[in-house]
Amino acid sequence: MVKFLKPNKAVIVLQGRFAGRKAVIVRSFDDGTRDRPYGHCLVAGIGKYPKKVIRKDSAKKTAKKSRVKAFIKLVNYSHIMPTRYTLDVDLKDVVTVDALQSRDKKVTAAKETKARFEERFKTGKNRWFFSKLRTAVNCKYLVL
Amino acid sequence: MVAVKKSKKTHESINNRLALVMKSGKYTLGYKTVLHSLRNSKGKLILLSNNCPPLRKSEIEYYAMLAKVGVHHFNGNNVDLGTACGKYFRVSCLSIIDPGDSDIIKTLPGDH
Repeated sequence: MVKFLKPNKAVIVLQGRFAGRKAVIVRSFDDGTRDRPYGHCLVAGIGKYPKKVIRKDSAKKTAKKSRVKAFIKLVNYSHIMPTRYTLDVDLKDVVTVDALQSRDKKVTAAKETKARFEERFKTGKNRWFFSKLRTAVNCKYLVL
Repeated sequence: MVAVKKSKKTHESINNRLALVMKSGKYTLGYKTVLHSLRNSKGKLILLSNNCPPLRKSEIEYYAMLAKVGVHHFNGNNVDLGTACGKYFRVSCLSIIDPGDSDIIKTLPGDH
């Protein structure tokens, strides 16, 4: 009875090109809009996860491996799996429905999101969010 | 995991309470609508049959954990749960939105 599809909730996208990727809800539309008459939310997620950095890596290599590619998308609630994790990165000013209207606005918003994600990744917090989803073969139960 | 042997009496009382909900309250039957009710925080109690597939069962339990809603594992399979709801089809999961005159929500979730 507690609403849990709120901004800053970490979710996993289940369908589409970004299936299996982790994302964070930036804005939720519980009752839908005229164009989308169903519950959906605006998410910002990770397109390409940062690679594993080892001690041997030089500074240049670390910088290259810590890059994150971001995506912004409007997703139906039935196409995401909410998790118990949250990610409080302030994306409200950057990620807006308005940004999705044209390609170049989307690109600039994604670039800004990428920068904020990378900054958060480098602090070493929210490690779960920046790691790839563990896919266990033959797992009967949900493990998140 | 040893399941607690449900005595016949409490099982019947669950069925009675469920019948009362069917008559006087609001509910939805089926996986899709159960998830809908959990997402928009309308569901108050979820019932799952014992032959609900384990992945689906754990998914519904996870959603219910996020929504802080009780889940009751019905002592019977989907055929029995359908019969308990007074329906002529199988019901694997159901969500009670408004219990009506029944006290099912107060008496059931001690259980998970």
